[in-house]
Amino acid sequence: MSENKLTQTDATLNPPTTDLVNIKINGVAVKVPKGENIIESARRVGVDIPYFCYHPRLSKGDAANCRMCLIEVASTAPDGSVRKMPKPQAACTMPASEGLVVETETPAIIKDRKGILEFLLINHPLDCPVCDRGGECPLQNNTLFYGPPTSRFIEEKRHYPKSYPLSEHVVFDRERCIQCARCTRFTEDISGDSQLGFLKRGADIEVGSFASTAYQSKFSGNVIELCPVGALLSRNYRFKARPWDLLTQKSICTQCSNGCNIKYDYRVDKIQRVNARLNEDVNEEWTCDRGKFGHDYISADSRLREPLVKRGGKWHPISWTEAYALVAEKFKAAGSNVAGIGGANATNEDNFAFQKFFRETLKSSNIDHRLGAYQGPGAGPIFSRLGYHTTGTTIAELESAKTIFLLGTELADEQPILFLRVRKAARFKGAAIVNALDRAVADTTSASDFADVDLLYRPGTEVALLNGVLNVLFSKELVAAQDGLDFSGLQSAVAEWTPEKAAAETGVSAESIVRAAELLARGSVAVIAGKTVTEHAYYTDIAAVLANLVIAVGSPAGLNIPVTDFNAQGAADMGVLPDYGPGYTPVASAGLNTRGILQAAASGSLGALWIVGAELLEQYADTKLAESALENCQFIVMNALSLTPTASMADLILPVASAAEKDGTVTSCERRIQRIYRAFDISGNVKPDWLVFTEVAELLGGGAPYVSARDIWRDIAQTIPTHSSITLKSLGESGIRWQYAHPAPKPTVAAAPYKAPAAAGTSRA
Amino acid sequence: MGFLTDLTRRVKETQQALAEPALGTKALATGFGITFKHYLQQQIKLRPTETIQYPEERREQFPRTRWRHVLTRYENGLEKCIGCSLCAGACPARCIYVQASENSDDNRYSPGERYAVKYEINMIRCIFCGFCQDACPTGAIVLRKDFELADYHRDDFLYTKEMLLEPAPITGLIPLTAITVVEPAASSH
Ligand code: SF4
Ligand code: SF4
Ligand code: SF4
Ligand code: SF4
Ligand code: FES
Repeated sequence: MSENKLTQTDATLNPPTTDLVNIKINGVAVKVPKGENIIESARRVGVDIPYFCYHPRLSKGDAANCRMCLIEVASTAPDGSVRKMPKPQAACTMPASEGLVVETETPAIIKDRKGILEFLLINHPLDCPVCDRGGECPLQNNTLFYGPPTSRFIEEKRHYPKSYPLSEHVVFDRERCIQCARCTRFTEDISGDSQLGFLKRGADIEVGSFASTAYQSKFSGNVIELCPVGALLSRNYRFKARPWDLLTQKSICTQCSNGCNIKYDYRVDKIQRVNARLNEDVNEEWTCDRGKFGHDYISADSRLREPLVKRGGKWHPISWTEAYALVAEKFKAAGSNVAGIGGANATNEDNFAFQKFFRETLKSSNIDHRLGAYQGPGAGPIFSRLGYHTTGTTIAELESAKTIFLLGTELADEQPILFLRVRKAARFKGAAIVNALDRAVADTTSASDFADVDLLYRPGTEVALLNGVLNVLFSKELVAAQDGLDFSGLQSAVAEWTPEKAAAETGVSAESIVRAAELLARGSVAVIAGKTVTEHAYYTDIAAVLANLVIAVGSPAGLNIPVTDFNAQGAADMGVLPDYGPGYTPVASAGLNTRGILQAAASGSLGALWIVGAELLEQYADTKLAESALENCQFIVMNALSLTPTASMADLILPVASAAEKDGTVTSCERRIQRIYRAFDISGNVKPDWLVFTEVAELLGGGAPYVSARDIWRDIAQTIPTHSSITLKSLGESGIRWQYAHPAPKPTVAAAPYKAPAAAGTSRA
Repeated sequence: MGFLTDLTRRVKETQQALAEPALGTKALATGFGITFKHYLQQQIKLRPTETIQYPEERREQFPRTRWRHVLTRYENGLEKCIGCSLCAGACPARCIYVQASENSDDNRYSPGERYAVKYEINMIRCIFCGFCQDACPTGAIVLRKDFELADYHRDDFLYTKEMLLEPAPITGLIPLTAITVVEPAASSH
């Protein structure tokens, strides 16, 4: 299972930075880290070495095949004499070593580059004018700077069908491929699905998938950006625009909570494509396919451009003034018998204005952004034990974990960028992966391909499994004594959970449980629990045992139960919770949670409900309850982008701005606050959510109105102590992860009861 | 007031001038003489006519004059434009908008994969520099000699693809479904 794990850290990928060597590049002496790639070293002294196949994040493997990066190299002997290597060398596989002398602009090298490019272009169609890559194409650029002005090849070129559909998202122009193996190495090194490889050999060589099946990957979009020519193209973006037609705005991907840095490339008011933006702390330079291809909704024709009111079962457009008057009338009449649901897809500023409107203007705390099964105390089950609400590890820190324990998650779907880091840790940093899965949900996940141990447990037996692991840790004395921590209580509580008993209960073999425990005992553990856990009826118990586990293995900051929705973390931080205000300050009297609100609405007792972009019919687990709530509620106003099923059951729809049409901040699952920027307006008649709340609050006699998102941020920083030192400017390019003000609490262990699943498969919520 | 006194003064001066016969008639005769001479020279083609009776007459334009754009076609009727936007990229006035789409065998506008669905030039912004023509890899967009571009409304200066495209050589040929560039034998014409 772990055969495609590199046995040790690839030195060229992760050069040790402490050891410096003296090298000379084009006569300039420079100190660089030992083992650094010469292409990178040359950059330090401002020398560009052209390349195609080299990529700093991909392993060399069988690459170094484009030969574009040829240089002349000599080594200095201890007596000071310089010995030149007889043949040019590939810079991309040449590690820096003491006394290396590099020449990049000799007549021979200049001639070599011309020759290489002439060869590459022999079969290249050179249809730049109709090629999506034209204008940002490394092959064009290198040919322009280093290539021959004309070709001597006048024979007919090789021809293939122009747009071969490689996958749902990627089309392949075989004629343009220069066989650099970047795409194949991506699937091997980064996404881990090893879907692409080279078929055939020699002049017939081509990129393809096994037996020409569809290229199935959750990260296929990245190869489009990686390909140094226009061979791999986005089906979606094909022929839509040329690079110089596009305007670009920075943003954050709205498709999940990982906070990938992206940029929208748009024309007028239509997004044409989404590309990744570099952020070493978050997504490096990757995106998942949901992010890369999932932002079409922003420019969809179905976007609403004016408020709609339902009269006699039909939608009628009305003005904002009329809409506001209606909202004000209904909410005034309902008094504090009102509620709000949503905010997980809105910005921090929207959420802050949302909760402020409810708490201060309407005097109601019936607000909740949570749509999942867990709707208990807003601080969540692990805060009191570990001192953080959701994630103890940053995304980047996952790389340095020795063992990563995945519990009940298809990470590549739920947290794609966390998955890529886990994969990176496994492939390049030697981390061990324990992949525990509810066998009723799936018997493999993307992580199974490289996991060291797979634990396929019977549904509902998570606590038994974890207790079994703890038992092994104690019985094999793998738990190091920790200052002031008394494990004896926990030890005796799990004493009955011998591997054999745990195996009988969970259906996992006893050896696997022992093996998992041994790997976890290596220290520096990161645990990531997924949806199977958070949607579980016994979520609180599982979380308690997970807390025991991370404390026992000495990584109390290693537990992660990340949120999944775009800005669910931010909504919680901003206080869109029934029992906590901004910054998790408890409110005097807690309001209703989502379930309570929906029950009140279904019984017809709720006066008015405000839905902020939450697709209750699609996202709320109990569809029946959601449906009857939407049907029976006296008045529903919804902030929506388009007429979704949920929106069509409202009484009034307010068209709001999407992430591309407003400024603001969002908080990712690792608590990283990052900015989004307004790119364009689809209409002068849509408003950001915060403005809607501010304006209605004003109508109902609220406090001082906000005039901009920046204005709200100032208020947030003043209200929430953990955010107080963060200004929009200080967020910079990579964002800031907000830190808890209090010191981490002293870890405590507390055994949780095991409730056997009533019957297989029925215990999950 | 001033006008009246002025007028009386002028009338007086003219009367005085005419009272001196030599001065008045000589000046008149010299002036008209030149006019008459030129008239006669033109009549017997000794001197070319400089005035052109526009709009009945039009001056011949220099061969490389750059005026109104035309999107040209190949002889078989296919559009030369492949929707590559290079003209838009080269245009210093940023007045060209190109939107491309994909040809299919049933719906073919140009040879190859790509054609322009939308092609617009904002003629008010255009400075007739001809860079678009230089940039075009297929020679599709050319600036020709039609210089009469005045119009009454700003909107009318937004030239669309339909206005710019050369008329098809055979009527009823758009969309050119019957023409395929690869296999002329497949054509039923
Ligand atoms: S891949 Fe680059 S060089 Fe090749 S046709 Fe496209 S733009 Fe031109
Ligand atoms: S498709 Fe692109 S990335 Fe893949 S081998 Fe060919 S040129 Fe390289
Ligand atoms: S002539 Fe010059 S200004 Fe006019 S459209 Fe062409 S490139 Fe633009
Ligand atoms: S006119 Fe020429 S340069 Fe402009 S889009 Fe068409 S083919 Fe390209
Ligand atoms: S970049 Fe060095 S061989 Fe391709």
